[in-house]
Amino acid sequence: MGIDYRVLQEAAKWFAVLQSGSASRAEHQAWSAWLEQPEHARAWARIERISGQFQPLAADPVGRSAGGLLHSRRSNRRQALKMLSVLCGGTALSLASGHIPWRQWTADERTAVGEVRDVKLADGSNLWLNTDTALDIAFDTKTRRLTLYRGELLIEAPASRRARPLLVTSREGRLYSEQAARFSVRQDDGRTRVSVFAGIVDIQLDGFGITSIPAGQQTAFGSRGVEPLEAASAEHQAWTTGVLLADNQRLEDFLAELSRYRHGYLGCDPRIADLRVVGAFPLADTERVLDALAATLPVRIERRMAWWVSLEPAIERAGV
Amino acid sequence: MATEGMLRQQMLHRLYADHHGWLNGWLRRQLGCNQRAADLAQDTFVRVLSKDQDMAAIREPRAYLHTIAKGLLINHWRRRQIEQAYLDALALQPEPVVPSPESQALIVETLLQIDAMLMRLPTRVRSAFLMSQLHGMTYAAIAAELGVSERMVKKYMSQAMLHCLMLVEDD
Repeated sequence: MGIDYRVLQEAAKWFAVLQSGSASRAEHQAWSAWLEQPEHARAWARIERISGQFQPLAADPVGRSAGGLLHSRRSNRRQALKMLSVLCGGTALSLASGHIPWRQWTADERTAVGEVRDVKLADGSNLWLNTDTALDIAFDTKTRRLTLYRGELLIEAPASRRARPLLVTSREGRLYSEQAARFSVRQDDGRTRVSVFAGIVDIQLDGFGITSIPAGQQTAFGSRGVEPLEAASAEHQAWTTGVLLADNQRLEDFLAELSRYRHGYLGCDPRIADLRVVGAFPLADTERVLDALAATLPVRIERRMAWWVSLEPAIERAGV
Repeated sequence: MATEGMLRQQMLHRLYADHHGWLNGWLRRQLGCNQRAADLAQDTFVRVLSKDQDMAAIREPRAYLHTIAKGLLINHWRRRQIEQAYLDALALQPEPVVPSPESQALIVETLLQIDAMLMRLPTRVRSAFLMSQLHGMTYAAIAAELGVSERMVKKYMSQAMLHCLMLVEDD
């Protein structure tokens, strides 16, 4: 049974609105109302199926990276020949079952929303990528360079045997370390946050010179320079072990952190925004974290749809 | 009905006898590989057979076969490109990983399906959709990447989804 073109158009528009991650409550309610019609629900089921097709890829780093090819147009024979190393015989994939050719360290690393992954680097460093992170790794004979485009990393670097400094570039500036160090870098909107847990890290900021951050300190920097140093908080390294730490955090802020690890909207009613959250929560299962909040705070979870979760006061005032 | 089916069989047989050698030769020149050429020539005739078309109406059999074979050839190249891209991506993993053949095949098949689904979209629209669905990028990040406004990204997203919606059927 076909679906009316007009309905498909509406469904596609709703998809674009909801997928933005910034849909308003009013928009969500309008969508819910729209969904009540059976034909609309059928169109939406199609959308979920299409969107679901991406799941096995999005969850697989190799698939995600190979998916880069899909951005390009289908190529003609000459391009195909240029690219393919093997044309005759069995499929190229049979090569993979044996050995994997080892390449130079020029990798493009990404994590999906909710994914935390660690990577062993060529110099023996351990690198962790937090949720929704994208970075480049470029090691050569002079420097070890990481470029953080999005998200958060934590690096544990040994002292360099060949005096190759470690450079981490964010949108706002550069971080520099020559000795053994352990520090995290987080790219926020217009601001880079850095927490140093071992060693010393220098911030190089155009127009502001160099600021050294010793172990146990953290700060942030942006277009207005480096903010005052403060004690490094454990939450900035707890995520590497899959733990979200909250040390007397406002509920609203805690939910903003938690929402980094899941798709869709996660928020709360302003009346409960200032409730305090204390504890260690498993990042791997954000639904369980929400259940834990509902069990310990006077809040209830309003699951309006898979992409839309709101925390509300546990007891609604009657008659409102 | 039975005679109609038999007639069809005869026409196909004729088509095969008259043009298989020519088609095979053309594919061999394109692919540089006898085995693959033979496979694709076979696939071409299977495709002709599965099309519910009146074979007597085919005026230019070679042009017809050529069109079908070319489509298969492009799919073949695309599959090889995608397999190659998958291998490259595997090789670039920081730790040597060897996924099971099943999971490799699943990923390559999924890539092919998505590629086929998005093939006819304008490049930017396709890219925006992939960045969102595959890489989980925000509209702001996609807008920055493509050099367009966030509103335009939203438009692209709905355009791409509408396109996909029209391609799929209900279960």
